[in-house]
Amino acid sequence: MTSPGASTAATRDGEYAHLVPVQRRYAELASDDPDRQRLREQLINGYRPMAEHIARRFAGRGEPLDDLVQVATMGLINAVDRFEPDRGSDFFSFAVPTITGEVRRYFRDHGWSTRVPRRLKDLHIAIRGTLAELSQQLGRAPRPSEIAVRLELPVAEVIEGLRAGDAYRSSSLDEMLGSGEGSATLGELMGGLDSDLALIDDREALRPLLAGLAPRERTILTLRFFRQMTQTQIADQVGISQMHVSRVLRQTLADLRARMSIPD
Amino acid sequence: MNTDRSLLNGHAASPAPGSGLSIELHTTASAIAIPTIRTVAADLAARADFDLDSIDDLRMAVDDVCAMLVGIAVLNATLSCCFTVRTDRIELAAEVDADALAGPLPTKSFGWRVLESLTNEVSVQYLPGVQGQGGKVCITLTKDAVAVPQT
Repeated sequence: MTSPGASTAATRDGEYAHLVPVQRRYAELASDDPDRQRLREQLINGYRPMAEHIARRFAGRGEPLDDLVQVATMGLINAVDRFEPDRGSDFFSFAVPTITGEVRRYFRDHGWSTRVPRRLKDLHIAIRGTLAELSQQLGRAPRPSEIAVRLELPVAEVIEGLRAGDAYRSSSLDEMLGSGEGSATLGELMGGLDSDLALIDDREALRPLLAGLAPRERTILTLRFFRQMTQTQIADQVGISQMHVSRVLRQTLADLRARMSIPD
Repeated sequence: MNTDRSLLNGHAASPAPGSGLSIELHTTASAIAIPTIRTVAADLAARADFDLDSIDDLRMAVDDVCAMLVGIAVLNATLSCCFTVRTDRIELAAEVDADALAGPLPTKSFGWRVLESLTNEVSVQYLPGVQGQGGKVCITLTKDAVAVPQT
């Protein structure tokens, strides 16, 4: 019982077989019987690995395992207290849904909507904190694996954290396009814009448009697309973060496209 | 055979021995599908351990490629995107049934210039249509996992 990983479906019945008579006796005792409390504890302790097993299946979703085990154990206690052997079903088919339901409810009430994004947000901030230094050391933007080593986190978690930033960024881009063009969707602007870009065959024609940009936007665009510098190099030169460069590039390109799609 | 009428053969559609992970997306050729496709591209790049610049470049390139193809697609066309993840490189072949009136893609434009900057290789192929139909247009690109800074 000290090894929580030991319980599997194959060993389950054997592992808990000794609890079946305890359960029966517990159910038969009157509610004020002094022995009841002892049997109840024996049952709860005996079945605890099952609760831990279920809790672990919900691990990695943004809640600490300890909390999940606690919640699952609450579910187990409920199951022990409410189980009626006379009803014909065995304890497992009653307890497993009860415990699982308890954990799910916990996620629904405490987890998904607030804590998970919060965790990802924190993770994203941690990732951003490493970027400047790593970029300087490497002479280029870091890979997820390199960030993972620095933060002592699994690569999968770094990827998750990066994705949280993507979601944040893409929604702000959509917002900007939406407010600028009224009913136009992001896609309409992008689709229409490349055929309009086609009209611009050389840099001469592009010059007035570039001239209309704010100096920093123009610099970033020029460095990226005419001097072929990476975002990290540009960030270094302009003195802002790589993520900011990325955002400026996207917004500026979208802005250029949007303005080209409007006939003068 | 229908598959003969495609430029995607030899890309992700037919994994060769020793080839990497391949992912094919077939979507409606609509702007609505583009955020999904670029998210898949960025996710593949992140899992292939691309540096952050290169992940972002690929995302933007895929965005542009899809927008170009959606812009010339016939009504109700399917946009097919085949990603192949190789060692330190991702390849994309994206194809659509093009409108006969669309004409060739503007490979001298600023938009194409941007695409060239974002990728290591990008090219466009045409499969002529029969009897005045538009035929297929396929854009292929490759993106390396690590950007080599130009000094």
